[in-house]
Amino acid sequence: MVKFERFIESYKPLIAIPVAITIISLLLITIVGVNQGIELKGGTEAVINLDKSISQSDLQSLITADFPGQQVTVKSVTNNQATVAITGDVDVVKLTSVLKGTGTISSYKSVGPVLSAESMTQIYYALAFAFIFMSITVFIIFRDVIPSLAVIFAALSDIIIAVGGMSLFNIPLSIASVGALLMLIGYSVDTDILLTTRILKRTEGTVTERAIEAMKTGLTMSAAAIGSMVALYLVVMFLIPAAHTLADIAAVLIVGLVADVLATWLMNLGILRWYTEARK
Amino acid sequence: MNIKEFLKDKQVLLLVVLLIASIGAISYLGIQQGLDLKGGSTIQLQLEQPVDTATMNTVTAVLDKRLNIFGVKDVKVYPSGNQNVIVEIAGVQPDDVTKIVGSNGKFEAKINNQTALVGSDITQVKTSKVTGTQWEVPFTVSLEGANRFAKVAQGQAGVPVEMYLDDQLITSPELSAELANGQASTDVMISGSEATKEEAQNQAKSIQTLLQSGALPVKVKIVGISSVSAELGEQFINGALIAGILALIVIAAIIIVRYRSPILVIPIMLTSIAELILVLGAAAVVHWNIDLAAIAGILAAIGTGVDDQIIITDEVLKGFQEKKRISGVRRQIKKAFFIIFASAGTLVAAMLPLAYIGFSRGATGIGILSGFAFTTILGVLIGIFITRPVYAKFVEMVLDK
Repeated sequence: MVKFERFIESYKPLIAIPVAITIISLLLITIVGVNQGIELKGGTEAVINLDKSISQSDLQSLITADFPGQQVTVKSVTNNQATVAITGDVDVVKLTSVLKGTGTISSYKSVGPVLSAESMTQIYYALAFAFIFMSITVFIIFRDVIPSLAVIFAALSDIIIAVGGMSLFNIPLSIASVGALLMLIGYSVDTDILLTTRILKRTEGTVTERAIEAMKTGLTMSAAAIGSMVALYLVVMFLIPAAHTLADIAAVLIVGLVADVLATWLMNLGILRWYTEARK
Repeated sequence: MNIKEFLKDKQVLLLVVLLIASIGAISYLGIQQGLDLKGGSTIQLQLEQPVDTATMNTVTAVLDKRLNIFGVKDVKVYPSGNQNVIVEIAGVQPDDVTKIVGSNGKFEAKINNQTALVGSDITQVKTSKVTGTQWEVPFTVSLEGANRFAKVAQGQAGVPVEMYLDDQLITSPELSAELANGQASTDVMISGSEATKEEAQNQAKSIQTLLQSGALPVKVKIVGISSVSAELGEQFINGALIAGILALIVIAAIIIVRYRSPILVIPIMLTSIAELILVLGAAAVVHWNIDLAAIAGILAAIGTGVDDQIIITDEVLKGFQEKKRISGVRRQIKKAFFIIFASAGTLVAAMLPLAYIGFSRGATGIGILSGFAFTTILGVLIGIFITRPVYAKFVEMVLDK
């Protein structure tokens, strides 16, 4: 425990770790970019119940033959289910007849360019206003500029790292993953509020002692959240691959929650310690 | 606090009453499942240009009529903003959908099996008039249509005019004498009389919609289709259930490892289940559709609930360690609730923009997540005001030795 206390006493260089990861994520986002799901770039996605087993490439060439000039991607094939993405407009009646004998369509989603452009605008607004409202709430709670900013920066860094993770692991940005990012704002602020309250509003023990107490609680919270998301991810991957958007949500949250552990206990805690020492 | 005091506590009683009410609401009213769970399609249409409310009403009425004529049951057609229309159809296979909405309405009026008017002849349909039991629907036709009609109708007074929509006979009013004189007129009307005023109004409205269906006031095109079969919906429900149960097991394991006290698992599990029942009960009462997004929201709310319970547990443990007095524990719980209310406030604040888009635009674009925002906010509010105070009391009772 003594070693650990000394470890968090030397907080200033530790702040650099989450900051560096955030910067790397920003670079990833700008250079590699984030893939957009079909809701945002337009196109068609169908889940097909297969009547007979067919290989990924056979299914791909079967569909490509009838939709020349459109890119057909077979995303996953299990014994009885396949997920197919096709660019551009697709006549679902034609797709059904192409698949006759091979399988039937059990889920179909098609998004035109008008709708996808509108969704993208809505996503920017939803994320921006969620962040602004959250920031205002944090300011109202703490009524103190630097601790509030520390919480807001931690949340911002979580979101950037989560989006960076989407870029790295090729998780598409979709309406569902935006839900995950909004959820992340809520989850990440939880531990930051816990930490800030314990450090600034309590008096028992030293700052380090209070920080370690808060960390015990906070890490249990993060472990519970990450554990549930891993469970969700595994269930979708092995049992319901058709609901792959749920796996995407879980993956975004796992990356974001791990980022939150670093952002809260290295960055936010570091800033708070700096602040309490400067205040003395 | 002992078990007697616990059971007599007002907040505990409130929770018990609400739980019974929720179970009653769920079993009596049932839970409405979203289309992605029970199977069905959501079709998003866009009009050529933004329109006023009256035109929008015409468009939705016409689409509704056409879908009903096709024999599709359980259809909802509603506007989203001033340029989009959302059509929700339950229990239709994906490939049937475009057949229904994708084709244009085909209107035809026949006299003696000869085509007198087609949808494209109709240039404008005016508002229907009802005087007593008499009704009339005036409309204008193109010159070409007027000439054809005049030729076919000549000398046919009293003969029924059979009106078809998508090849199905809808109505057949009699041809009036003034339209049968062979003179072409672009201003025409259909009229008749019914037994009651109400029937006259219905008939006029129905004819008006019928005439409009062949010629919607604006061009409509499909911009998005989302369709899920009932079997896949069932898989989603089962998957969510398995994931939920697994998540609870994982959380239980973490709690046991952290506190080395298996007894704490019981209230955390019970609180999570209570929150699930209360959210579903509230959804049943307000007839909120539970779709995949709403399930994600419930899981998210329960997840933050577990977080809050961990905060409460730690504060209570600390209170007993340091103060060894019940007043110290109570003060500690109060401190825990400051953190809980603050985090709940930020989560609700982050969900508000999404809820707003959902309520103002319906299930289009990011609005399909409105269920997520709704159940998260609802779950968090139920948690902080109803279940978590009870959890705090319970932990106080269990740890007070």
